[in-house]
Amino acid sequence: MNTRGRVIIQVNDLHHTYLSGTPLEVKALKGVTMEIYEGEVVGIIGRTGAGKSTIVQHFNGLIRNRERGRVIVDGHDMADPSLDVRAIRQKVGLVFQHPEQQLFERLVGDDIAFGPKKMGLPPEVRRERVRWAMEMVGLDFEKFKDRFTFSLSGGEMRKVAIAGVLALQPKVLILDESTTGIDPRGRKELLSRMLHLNREHGVTLVFVSSNMDEVASIADRIYVIDDGRTVMHGTAREIFAQPETLRRYGLGVPHVTTVAYRLAQDGIPMPRVPLTVAEAEEDVWKILSS
Amino acid sequence: MENFEFLRNVTIGQYFQGDSIIHRLDPRAKITILLILVVVNSFILSFTGNVLLLSWCIALVLLSGISFRFMLSGIKPALPLIAIFALMQLFFYGDAYPPYGMEAVTYWRWGMMSITNGSIQLVIVTLMRFLEIFFLVSLLTSTTTTTNIAYAIESMLEPFQRLRVPAQEISLIGTIALRFVPIFAEQMEIIMKAQASRGADFGEGGVFQFMKRTRQMVTLIVPLFVDAFRRAEDLILAMDARCYTGGRGRTKIVRFHMARMDYMFIAVTAVFAVLIMVFRNNFPV
Repeated sequence: MNTRGRVIIQVNDLHHTYLSGTPLEVKALKGVTMEIYEGEVVGIIGRTGAGKSTIVQHFNGLIRNRERGRVIVDGHDMADPSLDVRAIRQKVGLVFQHPEQQLFERLVGDDIAFGPKKMGLPPEVRRERVRWAMEMVGLDFEKFKDRFTFSLSGGEMRKVAIAGVLALQPKVLILDESTTGIDPRGRKELLSRMLHLNREHGVTLVFVSSNMDEVASIADRIYVIDDGRTVMHGTAREIFAQPETLRRYGLGVPHVTTVAYRLAQDGIPMPRVPLTVAEAEEDVWKILSS
Repeated sequence: MENFEFLRNVTIGQYFQGDSIIHRLDPRAKITILLILVVVNSFILSFTGNVLLLSWCIALVLLSGISFRFMLSGIKPALPLIAIFALMQLFFYGDAYPPYGMEAVTYWRWGMMSITNGSIQLVIVTLMRFLEIFFLVSLLTSTTTTTNIAYAIESMLEPFQRLRVPAQEISLIGTIALRFVPIFAEQMEIIMKAQASRGADFGEGGVFQFMKRTRQMVTLIVPLFVDAFRRAEDLILAMDARCYTGGRGRTKIVRFHMARMDYMFIAVTAVFAVLIMVFRNNFPV
């Protein structure tokens, strides 16, 4: 991360209260500050109920900040009432947990084309968008476009749903726990496809997850959220080098990192904090051969 | 549409923890009181009667300590419908109902439409009656957990079991229906947000562009139905896994006991109801 681009999303001391003025009022955010640069992969971690989803819903205007704090997305102040939210939502795509629940069209192709159609794109362009989006998630266009949506497997439905967001060709893609509930192989495939999207097409990725192994393998930088506040931020290696602090916020470190700490306790220190199995393997070979 | 907070608008069926007198009443007493007052509500057509009953309902709400403003916010989604009904009554019911306690006066007439003091009275009284029912039902559901309501209905239906009334099943169906209201509101919020994230705009089209608005709803209704069926299947499995076999011979972990306070509340309500019913034709307006 030495070549930092322009700041695309800036959050400053953000506060948010759900159902304010009712007996069910919940203070969800109490001061979140973060910066997301164009072209990077940012992980947001925190225990359940920390406010991660609330933060990312500010990024595409599903929640508008009316309280303290500012959110600036691609140069637009999200609190501005005259803001064209739909334009923002085309730039910032948000994929929820269990996104397959949002499918409604009979045919796969139609469902993915929903966004482009709403944008008012001509049919040929729409078709191209759908083709591109399907390629990005690893669905064969010819084979899948005319399949019945509800006859697909869970994993395929999830890919269709993600393609539905990608068809908008967003600059920023937010995945809010979107990999939970699929098998490890499908999860791995999805992650590598999202990385490809980031590396080859310059899409900024915001990755919300409670799976530390996943975050460690994909994120350049990480923000830790606890009780509605930003409590830590730094590169993935910096964050996972502080297991004690993380534990205080109800979080752990990747499995392979835990192994490294155990090795260090037993007198075999690793040269760096390994974040992936591949890194650990490399380091272990180095130690063994020296 | 900018605001996706649906729970803000679903006040019926939402339980609020509390320790007020109303909260502590036996659920059977609360249901009895509700039934008595609903009967009264359906009989009184005068201003005076409705003012009395509405004040009674408001007093009960105040006793419960539930925020008045929040309860009223539950009416908001129904307001357009209420307005349409009120207008229809105002214009088309001019001659159908002679006003209670007044000489009939016609203010305006044009073809089939007319405005009389009868129709004005009807509109106001209907609104008051609607509010009364709304307060009573919201009050019951916001001070009583759904399981307690279900147990109460079951226990009140028990005497009819000899007539083959499936008391337990009826209460079970009721509980499930009520329990799912907030779940579906939440699910709808999620789906709506997801669709908005990929370009849907739910505020689009005026109130009267029914076709456009209906088409927007398809993107919500299909996923919502899929979800409802999935949840229903999960529920069936969960019940099966717990060896649920229906009502016969089931015992209960919660047993209700009617206390002196419960009888007092019912008695006071009954006296109030009888008085209003007896004098309902003697009120001046």
